[in-house]
Amino acid sequence: MLQFTFRRLSLFFFTMLLLSLLSFSLSYFFPGDAIINLSGQVNASQEELALLSQQYAMHESFFSQYWHYLLRIFQGDMGISMASQLPISDEIANLLPATIELSIISLILAMSLGIPLGFIAAIFHKRAIDNIILSFAIVGYSIPVFWLGLFLILIFSIQLAWLPSAGNISLLFEIPHVTGFLFIDILLSNSEYKWQAFYNALAHIILPASVIAIAPATVFIRLARSAMMEVLATSYIKAAKTKGLTNAQIIYRHAIRNALIKMIRHIGLQFSHLITFAMITEVIFNWPGIGRWLIESIYQRDYTAIQSGLLVLSSFIFIVHIITDFIYATLNPLARENKHGS
Amino acid sequence: MARDKIYIEEEFPSPLRQLWSNFKQTNVAMLGFSGYLFLVVLAIFSPLLAPHSSVDSNLNLLLLPPAWDAQGDVSYLLGTDSLGRDMLSRLMHGASLTFGLSFVVVIISLVVGVLLGSLSALTKGVKSSIFNHFLDVILSIPTLLLAIIIVAILGPSLSNTLWAIVLSMIPQFIHITHNAIKEEFNKDYVLASRLDGADSLRILRYSVFPNIIEKIITQATLAQSAAILDIAALGFLGLGAQSPLPEWGAMLFNGLDLFYIAPWTVYLPGLAILFSVLSTNLVGEGLRHAIQQRKES
Repeated sequence: MLQFTFRRLSLFFFTMLLLSLLSFSLSYFFPGDAIINLSGQVNASQEELALLSQQYAMHESFFSQYWHYLLRIFQGDMGISMASQLPISDEIANLLPATIELSIISLILAMSLGIPLGFIAAIFHKRAIDNIILSFAIVGYSIPVFWLGLFLILIFSIQLAWLPSAGNISLLFEIPHVTGFLFIDILLSNSEYKWQAFYNALAHIILPASVIAIAPATVFIRLARSAMMEVLATSYIKAAKTKGLTNAQIIYRHAIRNALIKMIRHIGLQFSHLITFAMITEVIFNWPGIGRWLIESIYQRDYTAIQSGLLVLSSFIFIVHIITDFIYATLNPLARENKHGS
Repeated sequence: MARDKIYIEEEFPSPLRQLWSNFKQTNVAMLGFSGYLFLVVLAIFSPLLAPHSSVDSNLNLLLLPPAWDAQGDVSYLLGTDSLGRDMLSRLMHGASLTFGLSFVVVIISLVVGVLLGSLSALTKGVKSSIFNHFLDVILSIPTLLLAIIIVAILGPSLSNTLWAIVLSMIPQFIHITHNAIKEEFNKDYVLASRLDGADSLRILRYSVFPNIIEKIITQATLAQSAAILDIAALGFLGLGAQSPLPEWGAMLFNGLDLFYIAPWTVYLPGLAILFSVLSTNLVGEGLRHAIQQRKES
């Protein structure tokens, strides 16, 4: 386990190094002056700019510039947004929790829909149910996410008027900002309309979360199906059968457990797809998250925001990746072994 | 011309031919394949087949509903959009933009990815390890995010998004080629030709590539369905194809303001995207199924 931890940590360190290097070099790739792109000070005078480039060590070597950039990131200073002139670290701290909330709920939704369906398909392999589930998986995987979002808005928000179509909570509710995670903030607040606010927020998250969840759910169906079929083909299942266990017993006691462990590994990999879908869905549903903010930054040519947004979002994805790897390794001793060529 | 069989000899079809004969047997896969061929024909010949111009507006015929509607006109089969442009012609032209360009994107990234992947599979030690770590980093960034960054550097336009998607697709081809080649190199038949004195490049060319090409093609179909969705998504976000171009995602975005008055301007491009992604995925699934079947037999 120690060696595994060490390997993962070195991978993490290396990745962060590359990501920060990429993010730093973007300020040179983007059009305009590197110092303005880095700091976001679009209205600065000549003297202020000179002072800034002193602070950012712009006249020194590339390596020392990068070092100063890293130091500032660790102090939580990512410059100010070119569009709003507010500190980017504050904006990200406000927006990232909304995205995390949305993506985690979608992930849970996708897993609770996809994994059981995949298991059912594998258990009834080569029968009608298997085919139905598989065709659902292929169609669900092929639907463009923005189109699905618009359709659900048309049906559930406009024709049926059941669910709201924009934002994450009705403006009537005033929730004090504590953690940034809306649901936790609502529960922490001591307003008398706490539960109304909670249900309202819940109604707001259903549509975007299900839009995001559809495509990953279909991927989970396939992964769960192949994991289950793999497990069912092993010799310990055969041994259990010869012991005289019924099919239900075999599946509940042996197959599901072992197949579930295999699934954990894929969650980290699927997460980056999920974030992509979340970015598009945030635009459609006007969700106050980091994806919509990033896409708006492109319209506004807010290079400082794009640069830091990339860094934060991809580190977030990578951290989730590493965490799932660790969970997988703690649950499954086989994965801790050093595999060559992996 | 029919070939006469003079000698009784056993014929061993090449891996690709075996793949095709397995692929043919699945009906759903053939259905997807015919849809795919239909799109290819549409993408190539759309300027000849389209009944009207895809960019000329006709101010007398704004927002004409599709022909099955009571107010529809049969010469504008799928209706017109807010500038009086014929939807059918725009969708047909869009096939060459969204579907055709996704094909080009995949071919470019396939060639680059396979070359780099073979190079990385032949190198060993630190160089290969650094390269793999680097790939892992790029693979952990979502393709759309990567594309957005590249569009931010180059500015929004259709050609820039294409380069962006090419760049974001290359790593997965490198990855799959690298792993496939590594796997093949451990097999006995490679050892046999190595004992015959073949060098690595020769083994790669004559022994390994014919055996891994099916894997690469399968990956290419999956990559193409992702590329269609990416091109359309970037068009929808206004970062890809710009307004007059009938790219399906951009068309969908243009129709958004009139969603309630003229829903066909939104659902038709969406259906077109769905159809093309679905047929590409069915072909990919069929290929994967055929490979699996051949391995089992």
